[in-house]
Amino acid sequence: MKTLSLKKIPVSLGIAILMAFLISIPFFASDYWITLLVLIFIFTVYASGWNLFSGLTGYTNFGLAWFIGVSGYISSLLISDYGFFWLYAWPIGAILTSIASIGVGYILLRIKGVYFAISMVALTEGTRELFGTEYLAPITHGGQGVPFVAGIKLPTLYWAILLLAFLSLLICYKIISSKFGLRLLAIREDEQAAETLGIHTTRDKIIAFMISAFLVGLAGSIHFTYQNYIDPSFAFSIHLTLTPIVMTLFGGIGTVFGPFIGATLFTLIHEILWAELTLLYMAIFGGILMVLILFFPQGLLGWMKEKGVLPRIRKI
Amino acid sequence: MTNFIEILIRGLMLGSVYALVGMGLTLVWGVVGIVNIAHGEFVMLGAYFAFWAFSLLHLNPLLSVVLSIPVFFFAGVMIHRRITERLVKEHELSALILTFGMSILIWNLAQFFWTNTFRSVSYLTGSFPFIGMVFAKSKTVSFGLALVITAALFLFLRYSKWGKAIRATSQNSEVALVCGINTMKMRMLTFGMGIGLAGAAGAIISLQWVIFPQMGGSYISKAFAIVVLGGLGNIQGALAGGLIIGILEAMVTQYLSAKMAQIIPSVTILIILLLRPTGLFKK
Repeated sequence: MKTLSLKKIPVSLGIAILMAFLISIPFFASDYWITLLVLIFIFTVYASGWNLFSGLTGYTNFGLAWFIGVSGYISSLLISDYGFFWLYAWPIGAILTSIASIGVGYILLRIKGVYFAISMVALTEGTRELFGTEYLAPITHGGQGVPFVAGIKLPTLYWAILLLAFLSLLICYKIISSKFGLRLLAIREDEQAAETLGIHTTRDKIIAFMISAFLVGLAGSIHFTYQNYIDPSFAFSIHLTLTPIVMTLFGGIGTVFGPFIGATLFTLIHEILWAELTLLYMAIFGGILMVLILFFPQGLLGWMKEKGVLPRIRKI
Repeated sequence: MTNFIEILIRGLMLGSVYALVGMGLTLVWGVVGIVNIAHGEFVMLGAYFAFWAFSLLHLNPLLSVVLSIPVFFFAGVMIHRRITERLVKEHELSALILTFGMSILIWNLAQFFWTNTFRSVSYLTGSFPFIGMVFAKSKTVSFGLALVITAALFLFLRYSKWGKAIRATSQNSEVALVCGINTMKMRMLTFGMGIGLAGAAGAIISLQWVIFPQMGGSYISKAFAIVVLGGLGNIQGALAGGLIIGILEAMVTQYLSAKMAQIIPSVTILIILLLRPTGLFKK
């Protein structure tokens, strides 16, 4: 059994207190704050799921919305058309998505760099168009979307997404501090060299891709249950891919807590800006993305590590 | 049979315009090494350029097509000098994410200032019969314009001094530098030419289809399909790829449905990347 060193106790204690506080929130906070936190946690999972694969392996996944949309569609249709209970529909959606992602990864992860990014965009766009065509309408209800009621109360949904966000941060932490995480980083730095050193790069990439798909897919299912509605242009929208990327880049790509910090901050910014600048919202995000890449590529946590505010270790 | 030939020709006309967009993208990608996701947005801006020139200044749209080339060329040069040149030596994914942000910035600004209204340039409406087939006037003129611009591009790259320098930079940037070519200048020039082609293609597109701020998305996916078909940086390949995509689209629209035609670029990209990632043609 591992013994906790004295230095570690305050951190674990702090996390335990924070979790207890977050768990207790539905008992006293208003629905507005719960909703806001639900969105923060959904995007935390999206961002850390994106970071887990793209941040570590260097393969830019421009098809995050594909995970979200496919899993969201499966679970939404199960709930609305087949009368599934949400607790069963969510994991079914996520598991099927991660199985599909193994297939997609097996095929597409052989393609390197920019081509991989483009093929993921193509996959997402193609799936969106396909789900809206008349040929698939008997299953997907075509372009007009599926409204449904899952019969889940807001606090229950909140606890579910809180648990998922906590688990995905934990998984990211475990992976980044493991040998597996090191292998992924080796792929990012120099894939050929990594392969020469005996790393089974394809297998490792597919495993990371699959874990990412599972977490993001599960969050996607919860997202659409929360919205009570799904349609192709929303489920596979570029917005769902872009926002988590901006959040991750802001917080610090390849870090454990960067995506969480980015998700929290940007959801709050969104909350403030949305009312004021609805029409220019995407432009602001696009502009921030450009500025981040040009002047701030390390992100907040990366910058803090560089300046010595935080220790220079991978585990943060 | 006449019907089939008519669709084939319609596809070729469509493809010639797509090829312009695709050649701009592949040129920048091959020489500068930057994948410009915002390329489709410059097509959109080109279309709006022709539209506003027509509706506010009553400028002949054919003249705007010619004018759009220098205007967008200089815009591209400025963008490259200020922004993208910094990313040439970075990891290629930085440029990918940056131009992704640029693309969203541009279409949202266009949406904000010009609203989501569908617009069109009503010039050269109507059609004419030709040996038992019927063609729209605007599409025929567009086809001619696209061919002239393509021919000019080919001649420039093949015979002019700068064209040769650009091709040398594309083949091996370091050796070109050693041979005394100012590769930085060539990258700037090429980026300008890519944007210029996108702008001209947009101005041509405004002659025949409705335009709206988010139209760039459909053109960038077609352009990517063309680049992937033709092989990265291969201009002749892009021309052939553009024609193939145009014909495929015309055929699928005719025999399946217009909705299915929108899936063509994505399916083409996936199939070609899997089966023949270097493109259909030898470089």
